[in-house]
Amino acid sequence: MEWALTEEQEMLKTMARDFMEKECTRSHVRAMMEDEVGYSPELWKKMAELGWLGLIFPEQFGGQAMTFRDLTILCEEMGRSLLPSPFISTVILCGLPILFAGSEQQKKEYLSKIAEGKATFALAVLEEDGDFWPGGIKMRAEQRGNEYILNGTKMFVWDAKAADYFLLAARTRSSRDPEDGITLFIVDAKEWGVYVSPLNNIDMLRKQSDVVFTNVPVPAENIVGEVHKGWEPLKRMSLYATAALCAEMVGCGEKVLDMTVTYAKERVAYGVVIGSFQAIKHKCADMLSGLEYARSLMEWACLALSEDSPEAPLAVSMAKAYCGDVCKKVCDEGVQIHGGIGFSWEHDMHLYFKRVRTNDTAFGSSTFHRELVAQMLE
Amino acid sequence: MVTDTAKLEAFRKEVRAWLRANLPKGWGTPEYKAPDPFSKEAHELGKWWQKKLYEAGYTGFGYPPEYGGIVRPPEEIAIIREELARHGTPPGPQSLGLLVAAPALLAHGQEWQKKRFIPKILSGEESWAEYFSEPNAGSDIANIQTTAVKDGDEWVINGQKIWTSMWEFADFGLIACKSDPNAPRHRNLTCFIVDCHSPGLTKLPLRQMTGNAEFGEEYFDNVRVPDKNRVGEVNQGWAVVLTALMSERSGGGAFWGGGAAAIAGAFTRLAAVRAVVDLAKETRRFGKVVWDDPVFRQKIAQMAIEAEAMRCSGQRMVARMRKGWRPTNEASIVKNFQAEMRVRNGDIIMEIIGAYSQLNRDSKRALNNGDWVYQMLRARGATIEMGTSEVNRNIIAERILGLPR
Repeated sequence: MEWALTEEQEMLKTMARDFMEKECTRSHVRAMMEDEVGYSPELWKKMAELGWLGLIFPEQFGGQAMTFRDLTILCEEMGRSLLPSPFISTVILCGLPILFAGSEQQKKEYLSKIAEGKATFALAVLEEDGDFWPGGIKMRAEQRGNEYILNGTKMFVWDAKAADYFLLAARTRSSRDPEDGITLFIVDAKEWGVYVSPLNNIDMLRKQSDVVFTNVPVPAENIVGEVHKGWEPLKRMSLYATAALCAEMVGCGEKVLDMTVTYAKERVAYGVVIGSFQAIKHKCADMLSGLEYARSLMEWACLALSEDSPEAPLAVSMAKAYCGDVCKKVCDEGVQIHGGIGFSWEHDMHLYFKRVRTNDTAFGSSTFHRELVAQMLE
Repeated sequence: MVTDTAKLEAFRKEVRAWLRANLPKGWGTPEYKAPDPFSKEAHELGKWWQKKLYEAGYTGFGYPPEYGGIVRPPEEIAIIREELARHGTPPGPQSLGLLVAAPALLAHGQEWQKKRFIPKILSGEESWAEYFSEPNAGSDIANIQTTAVKDGDEWVINGQKIWTSMWEFADFGLIACKSDPNAPRHRNLTCFIVDCHSPGLTKLPLRQMTGNAEFGEEYFDNVRVPDKNRVGEVNQGWAVVLTALMSERSGGGAFWGGGAAAIAGAFTRLAAVRAVVDLAKETRRFGKVVWDDPVFRQKIAQMAIEAEAMRCSGQRMVARMRKGWRPTNEASIVKNFQAEMRVRNGDIIMEIIGAYSQLNRDSKRALNNGDWVYQMLRARGATIEMGTSEVNRNIIAERILGLPR
């Protein structure tokens, strides 16, 4: 495993940071918060031109064939800048299952479209219990000739308003084994009977919605992978998604620390800058130390996935457990040290706070992943 | 540079075969009876092992060959460190020689000092102590009151030192003294190499809350040191102290040690976590198997996560150092994390073993030879020695993050 960034990775990081600073200004972020769809198609096009949308797809599908670690460098920077875009939804949550299980025809069509910036995707898996696990999938898809008819509601769907397509998991047969009988479909978001209803979630830069499907027909050719065997590619994807969310959280945490230290050097109280108080210093020191170890585990998870290492599931769960705890704490302290302004709507601190909360919950919290670690220790 | 994977794997096999052939008889099995910690026997075992490692070319990295250093490709060094950590080899004899004296001499010593002393530190032949701490100069190490007064070609040292590791068996000590009573802090210290058998030097054991006398205290009563033993310039000793402390905090600091020491330490911790999982499976509290309790499972999993975090941070450090980066104040992050982890881990084990957490090492009912209880007690020193956790937080905040003093 190469733990230091290669020259190409350093370049990618610098390029990404420069791009976000120029394109993802604070006013852009604020505008996207209020925007119903929540991302800028022009910016999306630029990301496609930079090759980011197909970064990890094979070349024959319009991709750059770069590594997953390379991709997570982008995720770190997107966390840092809070770039409002359906990047993780499209490329990771939906792109990867299609890459893992899709037919040549599907990969050719959809992955190329993603890479070119011509299609956005949203993952429609979660339902009422809100957890990413096979037992939570109750919605049925009934076969009717060469079609399947979808009826039901998917919840907590990220970037649903921005999506051209949904990658949806539904039950196609009942089975004692909850992993069996789940089928993945690509559903055109413009289809009659698809209704997106925003949830008003706290993270306004990663908008979530209910998506209601009423008698929506999907042709059998839109099934990704084998019928009834849709959980496997989702489960595999979830490792990559979890690691990418860790990368984003670490990016958020590092930015929060930068902002907080800068503020502590400027803000005067009782006639001195607050950064001269030991109580503030020690909080800042703990934020930095926590982030060092969060980053270390996150990089391990990303490298292990890049190298298809058998230790990847352990690394991913360890990273998720640790990054979630540390980054939540970093945001708590970021708000606290900023004082009143940190609690205000006008300041960006709450945007980072909320993004970290979103990522901590997604694919299982710290406590959930620590239990997975315990199982892997047995 | 060796990059060929097959060659490296062959090298790993070679190291493993060497370890099997050279570790003490019965090592790693219940038949092996370790000497009492801090005993003469334990010290001699460490010296013997360090010499073996040195002769095999498995230690002494990061120093130029003219000072006895051993040069190898970084990939091989990484393999050696990993295999040593995996096998849980005997502890080194003179950790403060490698940790403190050699790095300080390399950075600040005179040419004759480097040639004379560093090779024998690397080979384990000579052991070193660090005479820095005093009753009123612990974390505030700049407040040293022991004096050194120039008298012809010699310096005369008077004062008291305390919390000295290796106090009993050290051959030489690196001492920091106040050499100018009128100069301001940080510009009033001078460092010397002192012979631990000098007339006028009295050594006494200092017992800690563990019950052991791992540390000692020393009284210097007109101890004479030749000027040629001075390390660094007169009144410039603070720089020497800083080099030594930073190296100590990161477990070998700037010389490949930092990351590699964390990696080695993490392997030891991971082995300890596996033992705790076994313990939790075998232990019942109030009739219930500990490992079946979700709260205990969370705590034990967190131990494993923190140990891996330590390893990964070490890997990152080693990788960046290979590209020319050098850690300095980052040592305080490493030191605090490891010390505070020891405290947390010790407490979790105490909770698992219940009433047995009250038993000393020599109790007939002690579990695991009392080592868990000992480690729990000893951990309280870890957050104090080498700068308290609070002082290290100040260093992190002021010198890395740039917050005002």
